[in-house]
Amino acid sequence: MSSEAAVASVPAEAAASGGRKSPAILFLIIGIIGLAVALFGLVTGLENGSGRAGLSWLLGFSFWFAALVGMLFLVQLSYVFDAGWSTIIRRQMEHFLGAFPWLFLLLVPVIALPFFIGDNTGMVWKWLNLDNILPGIHPTRVGDDPLYLLKAAFLNQTSLFIGLGVSFVIFCGLSAALRKHSFTNDFQPDAKHYAACRRWSGAGLFLTPIGTTVMVMYLLMSLSYHWFSTMYGVWFFALSMRVALATMVITCFFLSTRGGLKGIFNQSHYYFLGCLCLAFTIFWAYISFSQFFLIYNANIPEETYWYNMRQLNADGTFNGWWWVGLSLVFFMFLFPFLFLLRYKSKVQVRSIVFICCWILFFAIVDLYFNIIPTQKAADNILGYNVTPVFSKYMIFDVAAIIGIGGIVIWAALRSMSKTYIIPIHDPRIRESISSVQ
Amino acid sequence: MPEIAPELPFTASDAESREKLLAKVKPVEAPRRELVTGDKDFHWVTEKVCGIPESKTPRWWWIMFCVAACMATFTLAGLTWLVSSGVGVWGLANPVNWGWAIVNFVFWIGIGHAGTLISAILCLLRQKWRVSINRAAEAMTIFAVVCAGIFPLFHVGRVWFAWWLFPLPNANWIWPQFRSPLEWDVFAVSTYGTVSVLFWYMGLIPDLGTMRDRALKAGKLIKAWAYGVFAMGWRQSNRHWRNYEMAYLLLAGLSTPLVLSVHTIVSFDFAASQLPGWHTTIFPPYFVAGAIFSGFGMVLTLMLPLRAVYGLHNLITQYHIDCMCKIILATGSMVGYAYMMEFFIAWYGANPYEGFAFINRALGQYAWSYYIMVGCNVISPHLFWFKAVRENTALVWIICGFVNVGMWFERFVITVTSLANDFLPSSWGYYSPTIVDIFTFFGTFGLFSVLFLLFVRFLPMMPMGEIKAVMKQGDAHGHGTGTQAVPHDVHGKGGHH
Repeated sequence: MSSEAAVASVPAEAAASGGRKSPAILFLIIGIIGLAVALFGLVTGLENGSGRAGLSWLLGFSFWFAALVGMLFLVQLSYVFDAGWSTIIRRQMEHFLGAFPWLFLLLVPVIALPFFIGDNTGMVWKWLNLDNILPGIHPTRVGDDPLYLLKAAFLNQTSLFIGLGVSFVIFCGLSAALRKHSFTNDFQPDAKHYAACRRWSGAGLFLTPIGTTVMVMYLLMSLSYHWFSTMYGVWFFALSMRVALATMVITCFFLSTRGGLKGIFNQSHYYFLGCLCLAFTIFWAYISFSQFFLIYNANIPEETYWYNMRQLNADGTFNGWWWVGLSLVFFMFLFPFLFLLRYKSKVQVRSIVFICCWILFFAIVDLYFNIIPTQKAADNILGYNVTPVFSKYMIFDVAAIIGIGGIVIWAALRSMSKTYIIPIHDPRIRESISSVQ
Repeated sequence: MPEIAPELPFTASDAESREKLLAKVKPVEAPRRELVTGDKDFHWVTEKVCGIPESKTPRWWWIMFCVAACMATFTLAGLTWLVSSGVGVWGLANPVNWGWAIVNFVFWIGIGHAGTLISAILCLLRQKWRVSINRAAEAMTIFAVVCAGIFPLFHVGRVWFAWWLFPLPNANWIWPQFRSPLEWDVFAVSTYGTVSVLFWYMGLIPDLGTMRDRALKAGKLIKAWAYGVFAMGWRQSNRHWRNYEMAYLLLAGLSTPLVLSVHTIVSFDFAASQLPGWHTTIFPPYFVAGAIFSGFGMVLTLMLPLRAVYGLHNLITQYHIDCMCKIILATGSMVGYAYMMEFFIAWYGANPYEGFAFINRALGQYAWSYYIMVGCNVISPHLFWFKAVRENTALVWIICGFVNVGMWFERFVITVTSLANDFLPSSWGYYSPTIVDIFTFFGTFGLFSVLFLLFVRFLPMMPMGEIKAVMKQGDAHGHGTGTQAVPHDVHGKGGHH
């Protein structure tokens, strides 16, 4: 039973939800406008044989996918640890989880449209069209590439659809189950719902990493399908936790200043969320550094080329991506790390909201760094140039992030309008409301 | 626009509707499990914990101690043989030049991780259940580091030059290789060992003060003096406790990156190379997860018998066992994920050497060890999904034994299979340990047991103060249970902190 159905079956008291619809509709409109612009870029790009706007779409999708996956992890962790302080925050994350089906729907254009528009050369994933040419000293057709042939059992349309299908079932199924039990408990209070959530979360923490890894390998790692890293799924997990926590801080800030959490969401909630932001800032740096260091140190060409692309031009000078990489070191790790070490940064509302906005911006930069650089055929010693950092396509990057974000926030607000802002019968609700540091 | 129900979202923004919403808050009953069962009081905790080192030495202890001490002599014999003959007495031979020594080193270092995890990370995460087991786990950490240290110390052959591992100025200008992760190990492990001892000792101080006072009251002056020296003038005063808690928190913060860094650097010993099977980017978190996995396996292996022998069922409850089993299940799943990713990327990477290394693990000459590893580390922990298994302490103990065995074999598989069948088939070989390898490793279990038995015999096994703080009598105002719904004014100023 979906969470929608669960809500539909509750007593009239909640069905009379009402709630203010206008913010939801506003975000829906913003989402549609953003998507329309991103779609325009995608279609015109495909007609011209360019996949750059497709990468913009993928960037927008990946960012919001990271946010939702991170929230799914956090909700499950909250249940498994039987955490008391996080109950009211968990409810807001459960609202966001309602956006998963919409998010998967928004993946369709970037995968499907290239099959119908243009000559298939604008495929974001080169391996989806075996006639694509890989640039290099000896340009090769993907279908003739020995490395592709060795991976073809994984990198093909059928496997992609199976992988995405399995992930869809995992994410949407888990989200629906958790939402159903949590929301039903508001209207039919029974400890069995909490117990069910804990059971689902136990199983979910086993399944979610598998689904995340499959998605990340297909959607992100296979963009440069010669490259590989066993750490890549863990990197995305670390990033997703940071994005989810930052999104939650900002969401709760709005809900506690002009929404239903006013007077309920307190300083200790900011503090605990801030501590988690700090912990995952360190974890993200640990994972990102370990991946870089081990590849740098072993210096195996099959692995280093991925980082070299993001550092050097064909003539050996630094390209723009070098500075993006450095910005990640200093602004995605060092600055938030030092900032969040300070106690007051975690409890002063302006400080914590500021750093969370900062983290979200640099999370987009991190995804940009991972997704956008691609090889374009060129007459130089490498046989290719790397996509420049700045281009006119950035408008589509912004449009995709705003467009997909608008839909995700609309789905969350829609969910919020159907039940209580806090889980009033949750067994840990009082611990959460009276949470102290 | 429809009429807005006051309790619904976006509508509780004024004080009146908020009060209405909070009035509806009625949590369903799902009480947290008690951390000390049996409705015991503070005095009972003191008597129970202090009673163990204060009582007459039980016969079983002497028997165990003698057996353990005899076992420890095997290490002594192995090391004597090694030092008098040279490292050739170990089974190392081309192409396997890393054998049991590094396997044993990583195994014991991994065991040590649970202690710091329980003390530091679970402290920062405010997991109160840790207090019944943290002291023993910390002790286990130190003893495991002692056992681990033997192997790198003696593998240098001329052990009297082991100090060369440290970058001390010397007339010959001989410096260690700073770019080697093995050298980083020297600093990581020695720092970890030092901080672990400090953390453990600092946690002991209040209880040593209690032991001193009780010994004094009982007229045992030598005991009182001995405990008193180490209690460093502890008087249970408010000021002492306040300093103690701040110091504990600081050490917890310091230990947390240390516990992660040690096994990360141990993983670099392998992953920083180019050898198929070793060079893989997931090694750092995978090694840390594996270390916690094996550490908790050992904690349960030790604590379950102690619980039975000393009747500690009210202090180490089924809930504690449940929590530890679930951590083993979680970390075992992480380890399983890493195995899966390694295998998949070995194929996906399309490097024939990497692919062979993994196929060879599963089907080659050491396949038996690979399946022991998978069976013990990936399959056996999944029995902990079942409540009936978690509640059967004998079964839990057996599964933890499997975890210990599996984690030793994991290090064996990583080290030996990659080296035995490397790039050049003409140099392939089959590694077998010698009797010296076996003696040295076998004896470390004796050494570990001797140290642990001495700890149990002479020191309070559990932190009494911390246990009392998590009992319901220690929470008279209900702060920890959330029995009152007290809304805070947040944005800054309010609350009853």
